[in-house]
Amino acid sequence: MIPSHAAHEKTAPGRRRVPGPWHVRRLHEGDTNPVNPMHIRHTMILSGLLAGSLAAEQLDVEKDELKFGFIKLTDCAPIVIAKEKGFFEEEGLQVEVIAQPNWKQLLDNVINGELDGAHMLSGQPIAATIGFGTKAHIVTPYTLDLNGNGITVSNAIWEEMQDNDESLDTPTPKHPISADALKPIVEDAKADGRKLPMGMVFPVSTHNYEIRYWLAAAGIHPGMYTSTDLKGFTDGDIELSTTPPPQMPATLESGKNVAYCVGEPWNQQAVAKGIGVPVTTNYDIWKNNPEKVFGVTRDWADENPNTLIAVTKALIKAGKWLDAEEDGKLVNREEACRILSQPNYVGADFDVIKNSMTGYFYFQKTDKREMPDFNVFFKYQSSYPYYSDGVWFLTQMRRWGQITEPKPASWYHETAKKVYLPEVYMAAAEHLIEEGVLTEDEVPAADFDGYKPATDEFIDGVVYDGKKPIEYLNSHSIGNKDDSSLTAK
Amino acid sequence: MADSIKDKIKYGLLKGIDVSGFKVLDPPVRLAFGEEPRKQVGDIAKYMILPILFVLACLGIWTVMGPNHKTKSGEVPTPAKVWTAYEDNARFDERQQEKAADFIVEGAEREAVLTATTEELARLEAEAATLAEASDAVAATAKEETEALLAPLRARLDALKAEHEAAEDRREAEMNALAAEIVAGQAQPSALVDLVRENEILEDEANDAEDVIETQIKDILSDPPAEVKAAQMAANRVADEVQHYKKRIDILTKENRNVKEAEYLAKAEEDRAQLVAAEDPKKAVREAKSIARNAERAEDSKTQTYPRTATIFWQTKRSLATVFVGFGLAAALAIPLGIMCGLNRIFMACLTPIISIFRPVSPVVWLLIFQIIIGAFFPDPEKHPLFVTLNDEKWFGWIGNPLAFLQTNPAMIFSACTVAMCALWPALVNTALGVSSIDKDHMNVAKVLRLGFWSRLFKIIIPSSLPLVFAGLRISLGVGWMVLIAAEALSSSDGLGKFVWDEYQNGSSQSFANIILACFVVGIIGFFLDRIMIFLQRLVSFDDGSATA
Repeated sequence: MIPSHAAHEKTAPGRRRVPGPWHVRRLHEGDTNPVNPMHIRHTMILSGLLAGSLAAEQLDVEKDELKFGFIKLTDCAPIVIAKEKGFFEEEGLQVEVIAQPNWKQLLDNVINGELDGAHMLSGQPIAATIGFGTKAHIVTPYTLDLNGNGITVSNAIWEEMQDNDESLDTPTPKHPISADALKPIVEDAKADGRKLPMGMVFPVSTHNYEIRYWLAAAGIHPGMYTSTDLKGFTDGDIELSTTPPPQMPATLESGKNVAYCVGEPWNQQAVAKGIGVPVTTNYDIWKNNPEKVFGVTRDWADENPNTLIAVTKALIKAGKWLDAEEDGKLVNREEACRILSQPNYVGADFDVIKNSMTGYFYFQKTDKREMPDFNVFFKYQSSYPYYSDGVWFLTQMRRWGQITEPKPASWYHETAKKVYLPEVYMAAAEHLIEEGVLTEDEVPAADFDGYKPATDEFIDGVVYDGKKPIEYLNSHSIGNKDDSSLTAK
Repeated sequence: MADSIKDKIKYGLLKGIDVSGFKVLDPPVRLAFGEEPRKQVGDIAKYMILPILFVLACLGIWTVMGPNHKTKSGEVPTPAKVWTAYEDNARFDERQQEKAADFIVEGAEREAVLTATTEELARLEAEAATLAEASDAVAATAKEETEALLAPLRARLDALKAEHEAAEDRREAEMNALAAEIVAGQAQPSALVDLVRENEILEDEANDAEDVIETQIKDILSDPPAEVKAAQMAANRVADEVQHYKKRIDILTKENRNVKEAEYLAKAEEDRAQLVAAEDPKKAVREAKSIARNAERAEDSKTQTYPRTATIFWQTKRSLATVFVGFGLAAALAIPLGIMCGLNRIFMACLTPIISIFRPVSPVVWLLIFQIIIGAFFPDPEKHPLFVTLNDEKWFGWIGNPLAFLQTNPAMIFSACTVAMCALWPALVNTALGVSSIDKDHMNVAKVLRLGFWSRLFKIIIPSSLPLVFAGLRISLGVGWMVLIAAEALSSSDGLGKFVWDEYQNGSSQSFANIILACFVVGIIGFFLDRIMIFLQRLVSFDDGSATA
């Protein structure tokens, strides 16, 4: 048996099953180095011994009837597909998938135990863990998808942007489109004493950080959060406020917002209704950025370690199914759209979902572009929970003042390690490799440290290295900067 | 003799109609018994046929006006479309039931269902292929037509643009020439400014002219022709059905609980063979554990059911249950409090500020407050005895629990409490009024007879205030039903409110029709709830109750 099973005693008496030997070492608060190569090797040896009887064997799950929550967005696909294609079933899990009205309620339901786990914004587990908004220790073993968002501006703003920049005045302008052409409009409005209203979906959502990044890259100040201004309007050239995704097109139509950043199908909806023009996708703002994760509470993860691995296995299978390609074509996406369009899942029209999920994106009715990586669910080892992604979100929370005090570099790494559980992902992946479902090159190596290599694939070309959060913060001109002495701490 | 029986039946029927409040049915009954035929026919025409015609006229106006009002979220659905939405919802419900049945079907029957399903799937796939082809063909023709329509517009736009560009070039040359003249001192500088101004105006005009055509092109592109939409929808419908049948086959062959049970038992059997053959004690233990586990899983599989999916029918039942729980709570609080208020002026004075302040508060606020306050009682709802008991399939292991299908959860309790909080006031105020307006003579008689408090309460106070109490309860139930929909939408407690909210969020081409459908479902149920209360109210009233109807 693997040592450190102290928490077994914690298992409630009602939970009958004894965890098997492949049970993952449990993490405790303050355990700052969860990836222990020794441990992983240990697990591998053990599972090697069990090979044969273990192949295609279900894990000994603590709880087999589960409820997962989701928001009606196409990136909930892995959860829905794992249910509809029977991947949960293959792991011995009976799963109910329940739509939630908004991100706040979804998080509350996970915390109060109404849900076992949910489709969450990448920033949500981190913000909950550090106590911005509702405080609760949430962890994630799985990244559901990459990319998938867009920024849409209203027709009027688009026309003004075209006036400001002639090169945009064609049916198929060159991408990426920066906010440079937007800047004069913002300044004119400010001179009139107005701040242009814009929308994003949640204070800790990727959308908030993306639209802020895009605006700031062009020198438009999106506003700071302070300890007293929790709306994030302070010093802003514009007013960026929260609007639930399904209401976005309506707010654009009514003039409540002149631009917004949201996930699909709400950008395509604006195109379909002819009320706005998507100017950029988050693929151009940060190539292959993490978008949603699957989150559970720390306590739940502790009580149900094998169930969590089983769920992760099913999600990996679903992700792989979604990204399956034949001759460069995503072969399963059409069926996925068909499933997602059911009213109890995303429920939007099949054709609207299909527009973005099958490798294309409509920027205008006349401007359909190939975007094979607009939704990435599995390839590029994308579903692994990278610490560096967690650190990026933390730097953005600090940059815009959601984290009000300077923190040393080590804090960023520790917090990311509290939230992301690559060891659970790797345990699930090992089972799947043994079962022959995955090949080893589809997931990171066992001794991978969880940090993606440094990249400059951002719209402004600033280099991001997850290992150097303070340096990264200080490399931006707009937003909080911290003393460089914090780097070493 | 026969006449008196006939009369008895007649007056029985009329009394029933009167008590249930369906007064409209009065003339036809009288007519059937031959009472003043002329008057009855007149009444029928006035009070039955005219209203029916009026409603039909409204439907007609709706049918005609709907499609003409184009919103950005699509056309306003016609009654026919709302009916289609109902059928789609019914089909969705049916699909869930089919899946649930496939999950538990056993033995030879399963084989039979599987064969039938496979055959149906093959048929549907063929149909889907044909329809997809047809849809593509229609789209292709439509595209050709649009192109034909667009070609002249585009040509005109290009010509216009070329013309404008040429004019612009010409003006530019003119300006340059003038500028050269000014530099050379041969012309007035102000002339150049005028020329620049003129140029700007002309440019704007040119742009506007181009915009007109561009908008026309956009409009043509933005509105796919109706026949294309119809063909797509027909194809989509069958494709959805294909998806459903594929899932059914998956369930029948893989997920079915009996199939799983057999698999686990087979595994256990295999392990047993390995246990017997085991040479290493560790391996033996492992195999034994595996046997135990698989046996347990096989046992578990036997009672599993397919996870439910919310459908409008189930959500309606749940809404009804929630409103009755909330209404019950409200009545249980309002009636005793109301009686005390009616009996004691000081008590009434104490309660008045509370009633006056809290009565106008919106249900949304109450919901949020209850979520926080009552939420604290259910830290772990899955293990809370209340929910465990309510959701247990079998009480004490053998009594079937009639409430299990509701899947009670905290969100439902919050909604019920919100309903109670908002439904409380009308019942309370009316009860207080009923009690305080009891005939003084009755109370004096009670004093003379020296009746005790309890006999006074049950012999005089309650009976004489009942009509007003019921009038209050009737308003309460109406308020509760109205409030419930909002509470469910906000708390995402499964019910009609959540149905509406989910549909709004879906934003599909069917959503609008579904929301209108929900509007009718809510309205019709509200109507029947009200009738039930009228019926109860009339049963306890001395007068004919027409004043409160």
